[in-house]
Amino acid sequence: MTTAPVGGAKHRLPPSCSIFALLAALALPMQAQAAGTRAGSTISNTASASFDTGAGTTTIDSNQVDLLVDELLDVTVDSSNPADVPTTPGATGQVLTFSVTNNGNGVENFVLSTIANAGGDNYDPVVAQIYIDNGDGVFDAGTDTLYTPGANDPELDPDESVTVFVVATTPGTVVDGNRGIVSLVAAAVTGTGAPGASFAGQGEGGGDAVVGSTGADGTDAGAFIVSAATVTLVKSAVITNPLGTADPIPGATITYTIVATVAGSGSVNGLAITDNIPADTSYVPGSITLGGAPQSDAVDADAGDYNGTRINVALGTVAGGQTRTVTFQTTID
Amino acid sequence: MRTALFLFLAALLPTQALAANQVALANDVFVERVSTDAQGKQRILLEEPKVVVPGDRLVFVLNYRNAGAQPADKFVITNPLPAAVSFADAGDTRPLVSIDGGRGWGQLDQLTVAMSDGTRRAAQPGDVTHIRWAFQKPIPAGGSGKLMFRGVVK
Repeated sequence: MTTAPVGGAKHRLPPSCSIFALLAALALPMQAQAAGTRAGSTISNTASASFDTGAGTTTIDSNQVDLLVDELLDVTVDSSNPADVPTTPGATGQVLTFSVTNNGNGVENFVLSTIANAGGDNYDPVVAQIYIDNGDGVFDAGTDTLYTPGANDPELDPDESVTVFVVATTPGTVVDGNRGIVSLVAAAVTGTGAPGASFAGQGEGGGDAVVGSTGADGTDAGAFIVSAATVTLVKSAVITNPLGTADPIPGATITYTIVATVAGSGSVNGLAITDNIPADTSYVPGSITLGGAPQSDAVDADAGDYNGTRINVALGTVAGGQTRTVTFQTTID
Repeated sequence: MRTALFLFLAALLPTQALAANQVALANDVFVERVSTDAQGKQRILLEEPKVVVPGDRLVFVLNYRNAGAQPADKFVITNPLPAAVSFADAGDTRPLVSIDGGRGWGQLDQLTVAMSDGTRRAAQPGDVTHIRWAFQKPIPAGGSGKLMFRGVVK
């Protein structure tokens, strides 16, 4: 003992006075603990006292108190998608990503299930499969493990997390802007229930398993958002002739205008406008324009081409809210 | 919220017969369990646990007794905190604590912890590794008393 005796410890404390004072001020937090002390371990406490009764310093030990640490069953589920996942009507293989974390203090298996019909959304995604990630965090049906309840419930060490993919199909009937929610539920195989409920003898290390603050099951929701687009084509024609009138006489020139309008929050891919040259008319070479820009008739770097019977303009991917205007000319034979 | 206290005073008595030594020290550990009755009233029970779970609040009670004929001078009680227990408080008993495995001692509010960036922060209850009570006066023959502290199972 190098420090001079200080501190206010008084002996002959009135019985339990300090304990009463403490308990009166007590507000017990039921905090969710990260894993914590491993289930099955023992907490041992021993104090010692040293003193001098005139024959030098004597040290004695107290009795030892041993406490077995039970298994606490706690799990949390978190959606890993920062925002709604875009989908399209009728799409298959649509993936929501979750992480499941064992917040308990023992090794535990967790049963996974999904809820897609809880409401609060516009449609119910059809859950096809659940996959357990192989560790790379990226969904790949070829390398990730298909989950079968009861057969390969993921086993997690304390504080260990696993990534889970929920694969769903989007019904073909949904429309742009519809939202569909899927919740992933993870429940301790040992049991779930009210916090404090216990399962005698079922804890790791031989103690009880006690339901923690999460109820030993966790859930979180992810959502799809339907992002669709529709294309509208409007075609018009203007006739000019050498007489300066709009009569469709032989030798007159017909200028066709096709306006493609894409609507919706999504976009369309591979959009192409094709139009056959009508009978008894002849295509005017080099007359294709896209947004006012002339296009060559050859299949080349620009978007337009003419193959002898029809014009074609490849527009590629067009986002909702945009329009594309194509024109070409023919003459009346 | 009203809090009803149910203390099992009998349970607070030493469970072990004080040793034949002149001075004896008995150690008991209780867990505080909170239950809420139908009226929403919280009851705090001190139970003698066989098992605990992380987050449980433990009350460590040390009973000392000088059964000898001579006063016990320089009386010091030291309790190394079990590694799996995070210190919470010691009520009004004002112990000395160590945050470095028993090398240095002081009142908790006087101790600081070195940070990785070279600064020092005030020590927190969770830093405590040992608890010590150093008595300024001898324990008279026949004298006894009780000390306590609380911790949380990590």
